[in-house]
Amino acid sequence: MHEDSLWTNIFRLKSGEKEDILTVLKRIPLFQDLTRKELRQLERILHQRSYKKDEVIFSEGEPGVGMYIIETGQVRITLGDEQKVLAVLSKGDFFGEMALLLEAPRTASAIANKPSRLYGFFQPDLFSILETYPRTGNKILLRLSQMIAERLRHSNLENRELRNKLNSLLKKED
Amino acid sequence: MDVTVNRFLKIVLSIMFLLAIGWVVVELSSILIIFIIGALLAYILDPITSFLEYKGLSRTSATAVIFLCLALLLFIFIYFIVPPIIDQIKVIQHNLGSGKSTETINRIEEFIRKNLPMLKDVNLDLQNKLNTAVNHFSNSIFSLVGSVISIITTLVIIPFVVFFLLKDGRALIKSMVSIIPNRYFEITLNLIYKTDKQIGGYLRGQFFDALIIGFLSVVALWALNVPYFLLIGAFAGLANMVPYIGPLTGAVIAILVVTITNGAVNQMLMVAGAFALIQLLDNVLVQPIVVARSVQMHPLLVIFAVIAGGQFFGVIGMFLAVPAAAILKVFVLEIYYLYKKVNFA
Repeated sequence: MHEDSLWTNIFRLKSGEKEDILTVLKRIPLFQDLTRKELRQLERILHQRSYKKDEVIFSEGEPGVGMYIIETGQVRITLGDEQKVLAVLSKGDFFGEMALLLEAPRTASAIANKPSRLYGFFQPDLFSILETYPRTGNKILLRLSQMIAERLRHSNLENRELRNKLNSLLKKED
Repeated sequence: MDVTVNRFLKIVLSIMFLLAIGWVVVELSSILIIFIIGALLAYILDPITSFLEYKGLSRTSATAVIFLCLALLLFIFIYFIVPPIIDQIKVIQHNLGSGKSTETINRIEEFIRKNLPMLKDVNLDLQNKLNTAVNHFSNSIFSLVGSVISIITTLVIIPFVVFFLLKDGRALIKSMVSIIPNRYFEITLNLIYKTDKQIGGYLRGQFFDALIIGFLSVVALWALNVPYFLLIGAFAGLANMVPYIGPLTGAVIAILVVTITNGAVNQMLMVAGAFALIQLLDNVLVQPIVVARSVQMHPLLVIFAVIAGGQFFGVIGMFLAVPAAAILKVFVLEIYYLYKKVNFA
């Protein structure tokens, strides 16, 4: 059978592309509990964006609507006009999750450190997935809560350590 | 120097581009209206599709199920409701020419002359004016329905547009958003979401509210033995989609028809009472349940928008005035917010 038609090529390319996106999504910790079917539901609402080196992803003070997950590349999170670097994030990391849960301005800026490919995941889409596919939505929310709780625990430990250091410094001065 | 020339060229090109878009929009306006109606219907039906998806159907099957239901409704509408409506229009035309209504109109003219002395010498000529109005109205309806080509195109294209927008609408929006430059990406998404929040509930609510009001009006007018109850009831339902002006228009037309056909005062009062009751039911029961009606706009602004819409685009303009004003409001507020941030940050 003569197979080399334009259409077969197009479809082959398309299904190959889809496979890739699902595999990439599966590798992201936030989505690792999702089945393939659930990943396909999720893929429909994610926005894939590409950024050049030093391109601003979002700026401090802007109204934010959601979070970003790094597929490839590197992103630095900076604070203030002097652009103090708070963190450098890479593949699989996510940032801007506060805007996903709270409707508040961005508390820091995000800038691409290298050419990067990101997935945008936004609040209204999270709500829509919670309504349409509650099981998928709940899995994502649970995982997100666990990761945020982990960050909070880490911050608490750091906070306690700093307090202890401060106390001992104050005691020394006394 | 070069920079100024470049800037000037950019501005000229942008203006030419906008003019070209404007020209295309004007030239294609009749087709665009069909697409806009299709898009509105898809937008209104979207939550039902999502609900069916939640129940376990795929997006395509959910859309197909909705289409089967709509096809059934359309069948019922064409077979059971359209023929009596056409008959009722024909009867109105016939009656206006007959002696009975002429007598009533003469009575009304006499009444007006007696009670409003300043109109004594003015030639009211109500009969002719009414005849022209009704003829114009029914002719335009017949010409709308009668044009076979337009009805086939509309009947084929609208469902086609609705089906694909329901099935692929989100993917379409997503791919349109994907071509927006990174710099404007979040602000665009923000605008889309805020607009959806503002007008989504309003449009869906108005649509279902109009259906309920139309149904209640038909039942009430039928019970009160008002002629052309189907036509007036359907009109009252549709008119209800225009804020403030709509509900009043429905009632006035019903009372006018009663006046023309037999002029019985108690029937006129009953019709007025029925419309008042329906409005009361609408405000107390239907709207709070069905309509997330608030577009957070001052009533004066709403009335202004409705009149301006009517002035520019006629009846369709009046229907779409409030959502259009709401979209404009979101855009203006967001741009103002951005401007403030850029200038005062």
